[in-house]
Amino acid sequence: MFRSHHAQPPELPAVRTAPTRPLIVFERVFKTYGNGNPALEDVSFQVRPKDFVFVVGASGAGKSTMVRLLIREEVASRGHVLVDGQDLRRLRRRQLPRLRRKMGIVFQDYKLLPTLTVEQNVAFAIQVTNPGRRHLKEKVAEALYIVGLEDKLLSQPGQLSGGEQQRVAIARALVHRPRIFLADEPTGNLDPDTSWGIVQLLLQINHRGTTVVVATHNREIVDLCRQRVIAMEQGRIVRDEVEGQYMDGAAQAL
Amino acid sequence: MNPVPAIRFVLRSALQNVTRNFGISLASLLTVTLTLLGAGAAVVVVHALDNVLHSEESQASVLKVFLADHVSLQSIMQLESSLAAQHQVVSVQFENKDAAARQGCRQLGLCSALNTLRSTGGGNPLPASLNLKLRSIGAVTTINDEVRTSPLIFQGAHPTDYNPDVIPRLERYILIAQIAGGILVAVIGAVALVIITISIRTAAYVRRREIEIMKLVGASEWFIRWPFIFEGMMVGLASAVVAAAILLGVEYVFGAGHALFLGIGVRFALTVIAGLLVAGAFLGAFGSMVGIRRSLAA
Repeated sequence: MFRSHHAQPPELPAVRTAPTRPLIVFERVFKTYGNGNPALEDVSFQVRPKDFVFVVGASGAGKSTMVRLLIREEVASRGHVLVDGQDLRRLRRRQLPRLRRKMGIVFQDYKLLPTLTVEQNVAFAIQVTNPGRRHLKEKVAEALYIVGLEDKLLSQPGQLSGGEQQRVAIARALVHRPRIFLADEPTGNLDPDTSWGIVQLLLQINHRGTTVVVATHNREIVDLCRQRVIAMEQGRIVRDEVEGQYMDGAAQAL
Repeated sequence: MNPVPAIRFVLRSALQNVTRNFGISLASLLTVTLTLLGAGAAVVVVHALDNVLHSEESQASVLKVFLADHVSLQSIMQLESSLAAQHQVVSVQFENKDAAARQGCRQLGLCSALNTLRSTGGGNPLPASLNLKLRSIGAVTTINDEVRTSPLIFQGAHPTDYNPDVIPRLERYILIAQIAGGILVAVIGAVALVIITISIRTAAYVRRREIEIMKLVGASEWFIRWPFIFEGMMVGLASAVVAAAILLGVEYVFGAGHALFLGIGVRFALTVIAGLLVAGAFLGAFGSMVGIRRSLAA
């Protein structure tokens, strides 16, 4: 369980009711992989700007497929996935980098470069997308300040704990100020306390105006946060609640 | 995108690729050097062989037209002028009977036979001739057929020294040498390409995490590709420099007086160096593009 001072989630973002255009749209999406097994079946939902959404479900429920469709590592077999009004099926390969620059993406395994320092790992995201960008050091420092690692600039990933490594990955995802922040099992390798710290950080990022989508099977964290929950089972959405829990009576009944 | 930091990043990454995977880079450099060396040697040998054959060809493109005895000097000069006026004829030189006897004595060892004939009143049997230098080996047959009809020509079994067997044989040798050389260079080039492709694929595998991150944060495909292309070009160029140094070093040390190295001058050596550098850079760049393709598609 979480430590007592972590028992209360941070202040929730204000309720947003303005009729803004959805930032993410899944419209009757089906995805079947080469082995013929359906990963997603008739999935539809929308995410508005500045929303915070948990996508929950057991392994194989389709959470990661959803993330892969969003970053266009995969293309839907049927239906439409739209990000910021752009249909990803129609996206040309050369347009893909522009889409990815709108997103910050973190994974369970952090995906850090072990030979680079913390600062270099974060700067890498800018160096490979916009090498001439001014004030690189300041932007890297700012991202590391947000994640609370401003004193670890010169450390290497191997010298950091799992939670700190995930924070570096989050800083790298944040450094080019994405509109959407995607996290696929960001706490999968972390202990409960550290996981809670990471989720608090994601909530802070959301407070700053970034849309956050987190795919997770971490029941405690989802239940504590009282954010929107999209629950999945066997490739289908079984529940979509504005202030949901990992599992409610309806889901259990299914 | 500002090109200067982009180029700096690409070059630094390419150098990092080489230094991080030094063992693979070195193995790649050695094998590509060997293949370029083989290709370079094939080019040099074919060139030398071509030179030898062309030298033979130029000798074969001399046609000796034997003249009948007792032909007036005026008629000979008219024939000489009419032949010299032809486009395929480079020069015409008259050789009288005495000069023919001297040459027969010197080159064919006919001195004693000629002396015996002279002492017994038989005179000099060797005919005067017009020695034609022709532009190409192909012109020999045409001119030979043409001059045979002239009444001024010696009417014996051999009115000229034309040998119909020699020319096609020489032409065949040149063709075989060119085809064999071309095939050798093509095969060795293909081997070098495969080696560079494997080497870059290995480098891309070693850096797969980096490529994955670059793709995730939105680096363009060309930005991901360039460091590997530069790496391939660096390996290719370094291999070309080593191959050229070995090849020309061997030529410099052992070439003098060796038949195969006839005709390799500074100009050809520079052409070989330039050719190897271009081939190395091209093989490196092309092999890298093929090698990185799979990593980008994944």
